[in-house]
Amino acid sequence: MRSKMIFMAIVAMLLFVAPIFAQAPGGAAPAPTNWKPALAAIGMGIGSGLCGLGQGRAAAGAAEAMARNPGAAAGIRFALILGLVLIESLALYVMVIIYTVS
Amino acid sequence: MHEHELWLTALFNDHLAGPANSILNAVRMPAEHPERPWQNWIVMELLVVAILAVLLPFDRARFSVDKPGRLQHLFEITYNFVGEQMGELGIHHGEQYLPYFGTLFIFILFMNLLGIIPTFDSPTMYPMVPLGLALCTFFYYHAKGVKELGIGKYLLQFVGPIPAMALLMVPIELTGHLARPMSLTIRLFANMYAGEQVTNSFLSLTKFIIPAVFMALHVFVAFLQAYIFMLLSMIYVAMATSHEH
Repeated sequence: MRSKMIFMAIVAMLLFVAPIFAQAPGGAAPAPTNWKPALAAIGMGIGSGLCGLGQGRAAAGAAEAMARNPGAAAGIRFALILGLVLIESLALYVMVIIYTVS
Repeated sequence: MHEHELWLTALFNDHLAGPANSILNAVRMPAEHPERPWQNWIVMELLVVAILAVLLPFDRARFSVDKPGRLQHLFEITYNFVGEQMGELGIHHGEQYLPYFGTLFIFILFMNLLGIIPTFDSPTMYPMVPLGLALCTFFYYHAKGVKELGIGKYLLQFVGPIPAMALLMVPIELTGHLARPMSLTIRLFANMYAGEQVTNSFLSLTKFIIPAVFMALHVFVAFLQAYIFMLLSMIYVAMATSHEH
């Protein structure tokens, strides 16, 4: 029963393309798709996402270390800022590539 | 990237176009538009140089040992800060490097902050300016390494710890060394450019509070990037002048 419902749902979604039959026959070829903005957005998303993961690990490690050893907080804070900035610059390299190609 | 001329650039172009063209033609790099040779970034950079090199020495005359004023305190704090950083990184006799790092920090900081003022641009927002600074640092740390260790021992650093792997280590070391000015340039340029673009994007979306928040973030990033540029230059000098004990 459930698989029947899934099947009908898929058929209903496929019927959404019905308007394509309203096209005049022998339609003109569309202009070549511009991939640059789409790929730039995907690339930037991947870069920023992975940068976010890395910075999250850096911040987590720093917070944990400062909780264990409050006396060393100054040195840990320094290492945290340094690490965050260097990881940030990797995401910014992606942005520079985007502005170079587009 | 920015074709729009600032008012100071227009002022320079109106009155000083002749000398600029003579200088550019003398070094055989003629301007793209000879009737308006001055560009935004060089005018802004010269403005920062004028502030630092002309206005500050006038304040220097008023520094006193017994009754320091506020500006003197600021500069003493900066001096001690830079000196402490060098001590932390293990640079021995760091006083000889202090003028360069102090200048680097204050120069980049002033250049970054100039963009906050409404009708001015950060010179570090244009890729040429951080490239010049990164090349200065590149030649500086090589020169200091050669001066400290002698050219033979300095080149031996490229071979790596185990001489048998020299054939593998030399290209890796060379690539690493060449990547350093590139990363310094792109880090500083991209941070400043991104800060301005983000503020502009939010200005096109909403009114006052949100773009101002991003501008405040840009100020924080300006301080941080100046500090990071100086810190990385110090790390490179420390690595170049380190004696193998």
